[in-house]
Amino acid sequence: MIEDGSHWPAGTTLRADLCVVGAGPAGIALALSAAARGRQVLLLEAGRAPLDPFAQSLYEGEPANDDANEGLAEGLDEGAGRGSLHATHAPPHRFRMRGLGGSSIRWGGRCMPLDPIDFEPRAWVAHGGWPIGPEDLAPYYAAASEWAEAGHRGAPDYDSPTALPHAPPLIAGFNSEVLLTRSLERFSCPTDFGRRYRRRMQVEDNLRVITGLACTGIRLAPSGRRVASLALATPQGRRLSVRAGEVVLATGGLETARLLLASDDVAPRGVGNRHDVVGRFYMCHLAANLGALQLAGEPGDVRHGYEVAADGVYCRRRLTVAPAHQRHLRLLNAVARLHFPEIADPAHRSGVLSGLYLARRCISYEYGRRLQDTAPPSLAQRARHVANVARDWRDTAAFLSHWVRRRSLAARKFPSVILRNRANRFSLEVQAEQVPHPDSRITLAAGADALGQRRLRVDWRWQPQDIDSVRRTLEVMAGELARGGAGRLRFDADRLPQDLLRYGAYGGHHLGTARMGLDPRTSVVDAQCRVHEVDNLYIAGSAVFPTAGQANPTLTVLALALRLADHLASAPAAAAAPPRERSAA
Amino acid sequence: MNRKVLILGGSGFIGRRLAHRLLAGGVLQPVVASRHAGLRLDIRDAAAIASALRGMDAVVNAVAGSERAIAQGAQALAQAVQALAQGARGAHGPRVIHISSMAVLGEREGRLDETAAPGPTRAWYARAKQQAEAHMAGLARAGTPVTVLRPGCVWGPGSTLWVSRVARWLQDGRLGDLGEHGDGWTNGVHVDDVCQAIEALLAAPSWPPGMGLFHLATPDSPRWNTYFRDMALALGATPLRRIAPLRLRLDAWLAGPPLHVAGRLLARGADGVALPPPLSPGLLRLFARQQQLVSERATSQLGLRWTPYTTALHQGLAALDQGICRDSRSALARNSGLPIT
Repeated sequence: MIEDGSHWPAGTTLRADLCVVGAGPAGIALALSAAARGRQVLLLEAGRAPLDPFAQSLYEGEPANDDANEGLAEGLDEGAGRGSLHATHAPPHRFRMRGLGGSSIRWGGRCMPLDPIDFEPRAWVAHGGWPIGPEDLAPYYAAASEWAEAGHRGAPDYDSPTALPHAPPLIAGFNSEVLLTRSLERFSCPTDFGRRYRRRMQVEDNLRVITGLACTGIRLAPSGRRVASLALATPQGRRLSVRAGEVVLATGGLETARLLLASDDVAPRGVGNRHDVVGRFYMCHLAANLGALQLAGEPGDVRHGYEVAADGVYCRRRLTVAPAHQRHLRLLNAVARLHFPEIADPAHRSGVLSGLYLARRCISYEYGRRLQDTAPPSLAQRARHVANVARDWRDTAAFLSHWVRRRSLAARKFPSVILRNRANRFSLEVQAEQVPHPDSRITLAAGADALGQRRLRVDWRWQPQDIDSVRRTLEVMAGELARGGAGRLRFDADRLPQDLLRYGAYGGHHLGTARMGLDPRTSVVDAQCRVHEVDNLYIAGSAVFPTAGQANPTLTVLALALRLADHLASAPAAAAAPPRERSAA
Repeated sequence: MNRKVLILGGSGFIGRRLAHRLLAGGVLQPVVASRHAGLRLDIRDAAAIASALRGMDAVVNAVAGSERAIAQGAQALAQAVQALAQGARGAHGPRVIHISSMAVLGEREGRLDETAAPGPTRAWYARAKQQAEAHMAGLARAGTPVTVLRPGCVWGPGSTLWVSRVARWLQDGRLGDLGEHGDGWTNGVHVDDVCQAIEALLAAPSWPPGMGLFHLATPDSPRWNTYFRDMALALGATPLRRIAPLRLRLDAWLAGPPLHVAGRLLARGADGVALPPPLSPGLLRLFARQQQLVSERATSQLGLRWTPYTTALHQGLAALDQGICRDSRSALARNSGLPIT
């Protein structure tokens, strides 16, 4: 059942056996799974419709960008002395969507599990290591792939030789034990969880979904050991509440920290924050298109684009440094994809790229940011882009037709722009882990939103180690490609900080603000994602990641949510509140 | 072999399989009645049924076909059994097992056990099955022991509807991953499990009063998307296609009717002309319907040991490989071992 609660009277008290806050991928998958196992579930979503402007405005915050990129101009050394550096971060209402489906309303669909090495404690990664291992998540990754429509439950295969037995290798003839090309990313449709699973939510007897009610606080019992109720508000500011046996926050990496910190009536530092860990260790990914890669051999020997697996899912190979060599070289995890050259510079002479550049205003903020943030082109540059399109019209038209058929009109969308490889010339699209650091953090700002809840302040920071690790990763890649005679990778090591941080934190990956761990002094939730200090409060989502790995987080978010659903459905309900009555108090 | 069971609709997928199994079991003697083979009778003719019923311990109504055959056939059966019971003065007539369908539940969604009432429907098949059930309920009220079985999609080796037809659609790229439009439950059940349920009922010394009702769907039967995907992967109909909703609707609404008519016309003429099977709007609704049969009662009361979904899938595909999935009529013509009384 799905209801709109935005007109309900003040004082209404909802009751639930299990209350899940936030109907994004994690909340939807968790709520439906727990309900199918017999739990009576209440799922709350602040947005009344996708991108509901009011609910979206509650997300606005204050990026701590006043001194953003300070130190960058002077280079890395300046920053190294300070231990960590600020950098730009997208405004917090960007890359986060409200409404059924949450941010899956507008995600890219890239899915891959964390690598086994990500779970290990690594001596060179301070505050690293997970309290669970890959074997704990393996069955849930299979189910998560199915939920994301990125691979089927039997064998969501993320390894190229078995998943794509008939596809030629990424680079023909290139074999290296150090630089691997077999790891796959798989692509969701991209599935909008709100649309895809709407009917399931409507017909599930054990589930009640309520939209239009924002959770504004967690009210602890006087002991501080249990959630007594959740404070809710309608868009008009009417106050309601939920009393639930157990509560799961599935509100994303930023909002989870905000809710915990803002709920400070019983626990003065905020819920679960006795040891000042909530909001700290905030991580995103570092991402950039770097270097110039000239591969040897024929363009036909390179498969830089997408392959289709037997189950119909688009897959793409990436370059990764083998775990043994990551350990040996004390690297952070990272991947690189073969990418096209820089788009804003018309020197690439590609009609497709110039066309994209000219059309950049038509691309959504989340995907067009890197194009829109560049300096406006001069008239001469613009003319050269137009000339590229005119000269290269055949390719441009072919691209457009493919894009319309395989992306705009397709139910399973071609994931991204891939150009015909004419000259074996690429850049590397790098996505890299950053080391967790307590200074990179979410705090509460002085100002409040329309419902009186204090706004977010995002102080995202990077470490010299992050940049240095990318540099050494690129060196390994360059060395291995050269050794194998596969090609030559050149990059400007001195410009790496600027290149990696030009657009700031990679958008949409909000990790680590309520990290998982065994020690309550250094973590917020335990291995079952339960808040250490509160018996009936759980967190589903990327807030619990102790480290970021190289992977886009959604698949792991889903796997953790499904694992939590399993835990909540198997464990005897702590104190099942009588479900489902609604009464005006 | 002294106890006899009349199987109405004995040339259908379930009737044929049941007859073979009973024959092999050697305890009950099946007597097959259909329009095409065995005891040829008009199943809408109560008098004809009544005469066929003489000496029978039980009757299994597995009649498929048109709306009239299903609804009026059940009515005629009810009349015939009642007439026999009255003639027998006190002793009741043969026990009746009626094979209904999940279609009776109409558009209802959610987890549905036997307490769920029939639901609203636009489909002639569902309406006919609802009427047939109503006749059976009337018969039960009059004192005859009646049990109604409501299977989901009955598949397994030899299934034309849910194996060979689906395989063809997948190979032709007309079905695949349907997204939310294939998110409904198959409620699949192996034909042997339907037979198992009937055999358990026939073996029971007595039935509780009133009309018995059992849902039959393998507890691990998947959603349609999963079934299509597993079958496509097994058939090598890959890469699996994601079918856009518009394309599906065009196939069902525009290509469906002419294919249906052409199929009918050709069926009257030469055998062996293989037209693409039509998709229909009703099928599209079925693929999307979140209707999940709960079959716990059959598990506990009939002691059913369900054939796992993957076994059913692979047996169905193996039979497809051997070319067993043909039109039931020609299959029956080849099976000369059926008893004709």
